[in-house]
Amino acid sequence: MLEAINLTKRYEDGELALDNLSFKVEPGEIFCMFGANGAGKTTTINLFLGFLPPTSGTALIEGVDVAKDPLRAKKHVSFVSENVMLYGNFTALQNLDYFSKLAGKRNLTKKDYAEVLGRVGLQKEAFDRRVRFYSKGMRQKLGIAIAVVKDAPNVLLDEPTSGLDPQSGREFLEILVQMRDKGKSVFMSTHDIFRAKLIADRIGFMRKGKLVMLKTVQDLAHEDLTDLYIQYMEEQPASAPAAPAGM
Amino acid sequence: MLRDIIKKEILDNITSPKFVFTFLLCTILILLSVYTGVTNYRAEKKEFTASLALNKKNMEAQPNYSSLAGIGIKVSKPPQVLGTVVSGIEEAVGRVAPVNIAADPNLIDSKYSSNPVFAVFGALDLMFIVKIVLSLFAILFTYDAIVGEKEKGTLKLALSNDLPRDRLILGKAIGGYISLLLPLLVPLLLSLLFLIITPDISLGGQDWARLLLVFLMFFLYLSVFFSLGLFVSARTSRSSTSFLVLLFLWVIIVMVIPKAAVITAGQLRPIPSVHEITAKKDAYLQQIQAESQKEVREWVTKNQADAAKDPKAWQDKFKQYLQDFQQEATNKIDQNNAAFERDYQQKKRAQQSLAVNLSRISPASALTFGSMTLARTGVDEYDRFLASVRTYKPIYTKWINSKMGESINFQTGEQTKINVEDMPQHVYEPEWLSKSLVRAIPDFALLLVMIIIFFVGAYVSFLHYDVR
Repeated sequence: MLEAINLTKRYEDGELALDNLSFKVEPGEIFCMFGANGAGKTTTINLFLGFLPPTSGTALIEGVDVAKDPLRAKKHVSFVSENVMLYGNFTALQNLDYFSKLAGKRNLTKKDYAEVLGRVGLQKEAFDRRVRFYSKGMRQKLGIAIAVVKDAPNVLLDEPTSGLDPQSGREFLEILVQMRDKGKSVFMSTHDIFRAKLIADRIGFMRKGKLVMLKTVQDLAHEDLTDLYIQYMEEQPASAPAAPAGM
Repeated sequence: MLRDIIKKEILDNITSPKFVFTFLLCTILILLSVYTGVTNYRAEKKEFTASLALNKKNMEAQPNYSSLAGIGIKVSKPPQVLGTVVSGIEEAVGRVAPVNIAADPNLIDSKYSSNPVFAVFGALDLMFIVKIVLSLFAILFTYDAIVGEKEKGTLKLALSNDLPRDRLILGKAIGGYISLLLPLLVPLLLSLLFLIITPDISLGGQDWARLLLVFLMFFLYLSVFFSLGLFVSARTSRSSTSFLVLLFLWVIIVMVIPKAAVITAGQLRPIPSVHEITAKKDAYLQQIQAESQKEVREWVTKNQADAAKDPKAWQDKFKQYLQDFQQEATNKIDQNNAAFERDYQQKKRAQQSLAVNLSRISPASALTFGSMTLARTGVDEYDRFLASVRTYKPIYTKWINSKMGESINFQTGEQTKINVEDMPQHVYEPEWLSKSLVRAIPDFALLLVMIIIFFVGAYVSFLHYDVR
């Protein structure tokens, strides 16, 4: 489970990146967080990964406070970033082998890696090709494979669908659904309204570091997500409900 | 986990185009430099043997001792076998020291004076390759070690695991260093093999120890740049910035500091020029010669009456007088020259010492001085050789003076033929390794201190590095 409790981050230059953010991602749930650039989505992920210390509040992964024990907390989380280049001189299998070892998975075989790479939609011919010759979509699939191999109960995804073609995007959503079905807590920051609507259990909107809206997918069933997005991204939305704290 | 990081780092480096480029260039340059060094050494050795034989032939060809005293003899400096890897100042300072009654011995006939074009380009020895080329490669291997991973996103991905940062930087440092040494080790081993199989190159036990210590110094020097690269890479957020900063530092460290140190020392502790000293010595020599002629004339005038009484006894007395007088005049000249020389050397040493110590801020200078000391091709070796020639000079002067006195027949005016078999020989003992090592220890220590400072800097910076 992922949980943010009154998470606040103020940078040294005084900029308030996160303002009393609270949310919870339950096991078997996909939580999609929307927000314009600079809204605080990536900062939230960085706080969960221990790359930034919070000014106040707590980020918990499986009940472990990230700021207090980052290494123990990170055992329980996989991460997929927006645009990871990976090691260009390595093949997909070599990249996967290295990162799975860093994740503590030491007993996996080449067959296991091939199975995961196949699952994320990478062509077999590409397994032994150097990653520097990969397209962005292929690299993104490999990044997802790295997260899949780690098999952590929580997954953080930072705009993972940007740059993916429709086919890759669809395959990616299938993997996320599989993760949810396995009981993982998935937190995804994204701008991709359409794909998010297909898989999200809950959707949050962030603006200026604040969670300004939080709804379940059932709540949104009869709403136009694009209109909502535009509405909540505006400076002062006409009828912005207060962010439900502690959800 | 550490092993995995090291393995990844090595694999990532050796599969990169920069490794292939470095390996090829290192192999070509190192082998070429050692080949050039070996060729030069063989030529110098041949020249040394030839000059000894020629010197003996010249001496024996002289009609008498006076003539030999006039031309003097030549003491040749034996070439150093480790000049094949560290040529030092050998080519610049000269290989021969003429020794005669009047002049103060100095090294002449340098390779640069006989062919000034060598001075323009300098020597392409192994130390030059390490100092200039390989230090640049060390930067090339490390400038993006940290910041490059940040740009690729792999740093964030790696640290999203329960991976301690200290382990990651340690693994990267060890793996990166091994990758840097690989293209260096293979050509170095080939060079050693080349030295072993080349005829005329004979390395004794001490030479091997010296050579290994020189190689150790090379590795330490490269480690300085490697850890500096890691440090800068862990302090910057763009690899292009890291590269530019490192390039700037490289120019300052390798090019500017050593030269600036010499100029600063020259300004702070000026010494009279060699011409000034030579002019003073010449003036005194002329003064002594003028006084001598006057004194001899006075002696002859004063003792002329005795010559008529007993010519044989007078001749013996005159011979003895001349011998004593010559020795006394030579002693006066030597003492005066020695006083000038002492003063000059003292000032020169003070200036040199200041220049050396100032320049040691740069690892390039520590490498230069340390490896030259170990290879016995540095300033100290030059001073030792010159000191041995200066010690030899009075011994030779005494011998030639006594021979001149003994050989003159005043009745016939003839002199006996010369025989150089009993001439005292110049002895030049090579410095023991332990002594060289003691003098090289400060340079080893400085390089180690720099490695520790830069590595600790990289380590601490990485612990607080913003990986976002």
